[in-house]
Amino acid sequence: MTPQLDRRSFLKAMGIVTAAAACGGGGAGAPAPATATGAAPTAAAKPSGRISVYSALNESTNNQFVAAFKAATPGVEVDLLPLAAAGELQTRIKAEKASPKADVFIGGDSSFHDGLGKDGLLETYESPAASAVAKESKDPNKNWTGFYFGIFGIVMNTDRVNKEVGGAKPTSWDDLLDPKWKGKLILGSPITTGGGYIFIATQVFRFNKDEAKAMDYMKRFHANVAQYPGTSPQAIQLVSQGQFVAAPNWAHDILTEKVKNPGIDLAIPKGTGYEIGAVSVIKGTKNPVAAKAFVDWVLTKEAGELNVKLSNRVSVRTDVPPAPGAPTLTSVELVNYDRDWAAANKDRLLKLWQQTVGI
Amino acid sequence: MADGQPGSSAPEVLPGAAETAHLRVDNVTKRFGAAKAVDNVSFAIPRGAFATLLGPSGCGKTTTLRMIAGFYDPDEGDIVLSGKRINQLPAHRRGTAMVFQDYALFPHMTVKDNVGYGLRVAGVPGKERERRVAETLEFVGLGGLGHRWPNQLSGGQQQRVAVGRALVVRPQILLLDEPLSNLDAKLRESLRWEMRELQQQLRMTFIYVTHDQDEALSLSDWIAVMNQGRVEQAGTPWEIYYRPRTEFLADFVGAVNLVPAIARDVRGATAVLAFGGARVPVGLPPGVSVREDQEVRLSVRPESLWLASAGATAQGMISLAGTVARRAFLGDIMRYWINVDGREWIVDQADPGAGVAFEGSVSLMLRPERAHVIVPATPAELSSG
Amino acid sequence: MTSLRREPSLLLALLVVTGLVLLFIVYPQVRVVATPGGSGYADFFSGGSWVRPLQNSLSVTALSTTTAVLLGFVYAYAMVYTDMRGKPFFRLVGILPLLSPPFVVAAAYILLFGPRGIITYHVFGQSPNILGLFGIWGVQTIAFFPFSYQLIADVLSRSDARLEQAARNLGAGPWQVFRSVTLPLTRPGLGAAILTTAIYVLEDFGNPALIGGLYTVLPTQAYGLISGFGDLSGAAAVSTILLGLALVIYVAKLRLDGGRQYVTVSGKASSIPRPPVPRWVSWAAFIACSLCALVILLVYGTLVVSALTLAFPTNLGFTTQHFEYVGAHSLSLRNTLVYGLVAATLSGIFAVLAAFLVERGRWRGRRVLDFLLIMPAAVPGLFFGLGYATAFNEQWLDWVDRGALITISMIFWNIPVGYQAAVAGLRQIDRSIDEAATSLGASGLRTFRDVLVPMLGGSVRVGFTTTFVRAVTTLSVVIFLFTTQSTTATITIFQLVGDFNWGGATAFTVADVGMAIIALVVIAVLGRGRVSLGAARG
Repeated sequence: MTPQLDRRSFLKAMGIVTAAAACGGGGAGAPAPATATGAAPTAAAKPSGRISVYSALNESTNNQFVAAFKAATPGVEVDLLPLAAAGELQTRIKAEKASPKADVFIGGDSSFHDGLGKDGLLETYESPAASAVAKESKDPNKNWTGFYFGIFGIVMNTDRVNKEVGGAKPTSWDDLLDPKWKGKLILGSPITTGGGYIFIATQVFRFNKDEAKAMDYMKRFHANVAQYPGTSPQAIQLVSQGQFVAAPNWAHDILTEKVKNPGIDLAIPKGTGYEIGAVSVIKGTKNPVAAKAFVDWVLTKEAGELNVKLSNRVSVRTDVPPAPGAPTLTSVELVNYDRDWAAANKDRLLKLWQQTVGI
Repeated sequence: MADGQPGSSAPEVLPGAAETAHLRVDNVTKRFGAAKAVDNVSFAIPRGAFATLLGPSGCGKTTTLRMIAGFYDPDEGDIVLSGKRINQLPAHRRGTAMVFQDYALFPHMTVKDNVGYGLRVAGVPGKERERRVAETLEFVGLGGLGHRWPNQLSGGQQQRVAVGRALVVRPQILLLDEPLSNLDAKLRESLRWEMRELQQQLRMTFIYVTHDQDEALSLSDWIAVMNQGRVEQAGTPWEIYYRPRTEFLADFVGAVNLVPAIARDVRGATAVLAFGGARVPVGLPPGVSVREDQEVRLSVRPESLWLASAGATAQGMISLAGTVARRAFLGDIMRYWINVDGREWIVDQADPGAGVAFEGSVSLMLRPERAHVIVPATPAELSSG
Repeated sequence: MTSLRREPSLLLALLVVTGLVLLFIVYPQVRVVATPGGSGYADFFSGGSWVRPLQNSLSVTALSTTTAVLLGFVYAYAMVYTDMRGKPFFRLVGILPLLSPPFVVAAAYILLFGPRGIITYHVFGQSPNILGLFGIWGVQTIAFFPFSYQLIADVLSRSDARLEQAARNLGAGPWQVFRSVTLPLTRPGLGAAILTTAIYVLEDFGNPALIGGLYTVLPTQAYGLISGFGDLSGAAAVSTILLGLALVIYVAKLRLDGGRQYVTVSGKASSIPRPPVPRWVSWAAFIACSLCALVILLVYGTLVVSALTLAFPTNLGFTTQHFEYVGAHSLSLRNTLVYGLVAATLSGIFAVLAAFLVERGRWRGRRVLDFLLIMPAAVPGLFFGLGYATAFNEQWLDWVDRGALITISMIFWNIPVGYQAAVAGLRQIDRSIDEAATSLGASGLRTFRDVLVPMLGGSVRVGFTTTFVRAVTTLSVVIFLFTTQSTTATITIFQLVGDFNWGGATAFTVADVGMAIIALVVIAVLGRGRVSLGAARG
């Protein structure tokens, strides 16, 4: 358990700072008619009432995140629906389109938000606070705004790496092709986990979309893989337990598990992939003012710092320092990840991969 | 009674029953898939009668009973209770309680609860209910067993519970589906008399289904013998036994001698049956007609024949010469198989303890008025049903 | 049962049952099936990504069903026929595998039997790769034998001891009696058990997701499409394949039944005890059940130990801190208990009523209703919940309490087991028993209430228990339906697992399972009291 006292005092400080930020710079959108899109924010309405937030953030992040928002925005109550599974939340928002139950969708890769935006289920909104976000990290169509990065890394069982693989951290993805890893690696199933697919896409981008080279890599990688577990968190757990030695997975999740089990370690090879964690406003929200206020708050430096602290993720804001031991966008070498291309070619790539490795 | 062929659809009633019929079954047919389980059956049962549907398994008797109970719907025809057509009345409103072959006791209720169930359903208040249940248990001879569970009772006791349970609701008609067939012979016989006595005391209309002709003959005021979904014949036990209209019937109800004969000298209601060298004058039963030279059967029950030493004759009797083929001692009678002109006749001699056993050549004595003519169904008649 | 036309109350009951089935089973599924649209299906099926998962689903269903039914039969036979010791213990252990909240129990298997598993590696020095077909097979055998065990035990306990005694008297040995009398008599029950188990194995998501590795089956494919890629259309198409397979299994089951009637509870009461089985059979049964119980207890023991240690298995320091989550999330536990109890009660009653109308009725179209009542078993919980979220999330329905909707979804998703048990039970009760009540003046529904329901106590219990434990442990059905106020224990567990909080997740699982067991025990005790009251009632 992380010390409670620490967080509480942090929150107190947060409350003061962010309250000021919300009143000053944070623009609250006017109650726009449901059909209006991209309504210009006016300073007239003060956010109030109740909003429902669908959150794919981690359980340990949710409560404090909401508490900090409420402290910063007095008068707004938040019903937070926690489900650390962005795909399910996206599906749920789709299923509920006849009578939307959520005002804000937070967390999860931008592709989940993008899908909703393309289906016309999101309210376009450009937060004044989004000016601090690089344009690559927000939707040109203004459906969503990125607020953190999730970086793909490798979880290693330190003990077994030292004993069985020679102890060196992999610095490139190619290091995992060494035969000494044979039968010791696992990867979240590309068929059933988003991370598993991002791994394949990352290889494709690493070879400048030369799919033949990428598949050759996947084939040689496959020779070292013992298993492709069905969920991403499970892969980390299996390595943590020492059932297997290493697994490509989300860096922030690896760091979260490391708090519980210091016997694991994180490596970030160069040329790695990443996700953009996004926040968006649901079309049909009955409280657009408060919903937009929430988005505004999420994009503040203070919220970014809180999220980094709680989840080990990386803020999109350059003025937010990373968590201790966590990679930053500048400290790692990212691959040129083409999100739209990855989404459009998913079925084809997966099939190609299955043929390549013969499963 | 209307002129009719064996197996015809004319109502089979006791004299005068049509007017006072408690239950009438009119031209009822029931099909299961393509098969006709009950084929255009009609009969009427007077109030207070002990009526029996008798027949081999699969003859349609149980199906008929279940249609009366309301468990099956007739495909055609009417069921009329006390002058009212009840085809549309659901089973539980017909007032026709039923006693089942396997008793169908509720295993999760005690004897008292079983017997009291019908009263509970009818909403009879607790005190009254208890009184009537106790009364009924006494009546069926189960006083003091009210707290037992069904599986703690013997077969005969279970059967009495089943009867008591049906009687306590004072049904209009009590339907009994082979209620004694699961019991051993001795018990069956004693319960048979109890059943008859019960019915006499209550003066309730009973409809009883059985395949056992002894049971039917000994219990009933009226019997309908069914075969292949049709009523072969209905009438009093005496009529059924001594005046069977078909070979099936004669054979089904007890042992019988069915001797092929030619009808001669047909005059109104009399004819002479010729077989071998013998000529037996018989009366024709109502509704039966024969043609001159028609091939018929002479039907006579074994106990209606006598044996005498060879060459004996008697006034008013026809004497046939035969030899004893074999005999069997059955306790109350001695049964002989007598060879007459290459044909075996069955003869029962009463009180075998008194007389001597016959052997070798004998005279078979036949009293013409105890003989009876049966007109065999022609193929055409068989298929016309 | 008399004709429906004659008994308006019966007709009304049928209309109500049919109406509820159409509204809460058919309509939501139609919404799911319609999701992909024509081109969505064309794309999906021409893509071919479903072929391998389909093959895998069929293989693993065949394997796991066979072993689960065999184990269930051995367990049921031991419980009903032998005089082995410790039956109450085995009865409780026998339903534990039903109480397996998602992720946690499967994870415990890996902890025990994985490549560095406590048993496999640390005890036996073996390093088996249990992720894959063999892992799924083993885990599903344990996970699903309770279904077949419950259904078969219910049937066996109602089989007629007289027939067996008679066969023994005719000189048949115990094995011959078993083969020539017991087995044929239990055929309808066995059919129901095989069918139900097969459908549940086919629909199983949790075990293949965690033990399957790359051995992708249809439910994990569907889950992956939603969870990893937000591909609702493809996932719905997978769900449609599962429904098609359920239909095939259903038709096979009709063939299996062959319309035969095996009545073993006739109106003739008998107090004959079952013929004794040889001593060695009792012992063999005891050993088989003990082995099975050992595996189950190891798994649940692992959970208890995990809940009480700082970070199992790396840090074995004792702690109770994980149980703080139980207090913090007491709302979800309370909701789970309330939804589970209400759903189980209504599901049990509804299943028996529906079985009565179908099995005792003589109306047209009852085969259709029969199928619709079995179908939910083939719908992965994810799609059952999704169907509800799609079908009942309308503005004019917003007044409906989400807790109520979740409860309703649990009722209908879990109908099949109770329904199957009730059908098997009714087939064993001679119709003359209902007819006796009818001829004494009881209407169809009255007969049902007074006579059949008490006699079907075992079936009602199977329906109640199964629904309750599944309601208490389902994640997938509620994932699209829960709200802040109507969250459930499984959602909390899911959140804790996603947060790598193994201690918290296991502590919450222990609380959830413990609560369910206490509830079941309390109900069993209360139920016994009621039975004896019922017997004493004048």
